[in-house]
Amino acid sequence: MFYPEPIERLIDNLTRLPGIGRKTATRLAFFLLSAREGYITDLSHSLIDIKEKIRLCSVCFNITDIDPCAICRDERRDKASICVVEESSHMMVIESSNPGQFRYHILHGIINPLEGIGPDDIRINELRERILSEGITEVIVATNPNIEGNTTAHYIAEILKPYDVRITRIASGIPVGGDIVYIDPLTIKSSLENRKKL
Amino acid sequence: MSLRKDEAIVLSKRAYGESDRIIHLFTLNAGKVSAIAKGAGKSQKRFMNTLEPFNHVKVEYFEKQGRGMVRIENADLVSGNSGIETSMKRMCSASFFTEFVDRMTREREPYNGLFLALKEFISFARSKDPAYADILHYELMMLDILGYHPNFDTCVFCGTVINDEEKIYFSRERGGVLCTVCSRSLPHRRWSPGLMQGFLAVKKFETGFETRSLEREAQELMEGFITYHVDLDFKSYKLLKTMVF
Ligand SMILES: [Zn+2]
Ligand SMILES: [Zn+2]
Repeated sequence: MFYPEPIERLIDNLTRLPGIGRKTATRLAFFLLSAREGYITDLSHSLIDIKEKIRLCSVCFNITDIDPCAICRDERRDKASICVVEESSHMMVIESSNPGQFRYHILHGIINPLEGIGPDDIRINELRERILSEGITEVIVATNPNIEGNTTAHYIAEILKPYDVRITRIASGIPVGGDIVYIDPLTIKSSLENRKKL
Repeated sequence: MSLRKDEAIVLSKRAYGESDRIIHLFTLNAGKVSAIAKGAGKSQKRFMNTLEPFNHVKVEYFEKQGRGMVRIENADLVSGNSGIETSMKRMCSASFFTEFVDRMTREREPYNGLFLALKEFISFARSKDPAYADILHYELMMLDILGYHPNFDTCVFCGTVINDEEKIYFSRERGGVLCTVCSRSLPHRRWSPGLMQGFLAVKKFETGFETRSLEREAQELMEGFITYHVDLDFKSYKLLKTMVF
């Protein structure tokens, strides 16, 4: 059975959203069909706005509506160090645990040769340019501690070698509140390598 | 459902939905299998972190009648991938060979030799930056196991043994060198003297090519050969080329 064309089109478009099948899309379409006029106008405007108003910060490549972004405009943050992350969502996690502390650089990806993604496909060259122009003295590499994240961290360290900059890597080990019994051998090994003096 | 125990090398790991992972394993006894790791994204199961690309693991998995996707029950690390992350040469070449094995084999087609070759290359790349000759050595070895090895010894058409000095004609279509006589009637390309001996030396792991230009020719010959006979576009190859060759 087919619904009138505008409804079919809406269902089709909704189906393209992650996790939405045709059944859910149909339910959403009928919800929207009976929704208040004001809500529909608001929803359509906010959809258009994310494409028209959201862009990447020209300094750190964070998603923002004003360029430079609020974080880059924040004068109270440490000017000397930047924290390098894979995605904006990773930045948000670090920011929520250390509000107002760091400035960031968002790579928008990670080196992954199996997917054909190399250094030139992510914002690594832009990072090098920032080191030169902003007087940064410490780069904290906060990519995930897996093979792709570690490779990206080593690559960053490699290309920043010629510059007078300290490069640090976030530690990996036993999570806070964790239990050694349930930790995999690689994490245990890493936690011993990253041990601290008491 | 039966529980199987095997050794495996992790070829790739992909997110599947919110929290599941699909892992390609190259097992010693059953060849390539696709495995689903349910809830791997947030699981507390201690083996999940051992299912990272290039890791050599002992696995236990459940399968239905020897087909379809398997479910990993447990995985213990035999040797990890640490060392590979330290350079792009290592990372790109290890990625190339895992992709190569992944795409050149079908599910549940066991190849003991290929398993050992891949394991050996990964352990090489964990400790040393591979040069072109090292990569070519393993590439030729793997092609040989898969039944695609180019013939650098005898004329691929008439079978005549060719003197080293006369080994300059290579037929991409027939996958090997041609003698002078056969080269007159069969399509081929003429290569620099010394190239075929270079291949033979690399195959035996004796030395690399004598000059950089011979190495370039070797790359070109191999690319043509692979494109013609295998016709696969390896995602990691372009990067390997810019980073290593
Ligand atoms: Zn910014
Ligand atoms: Zn012949």
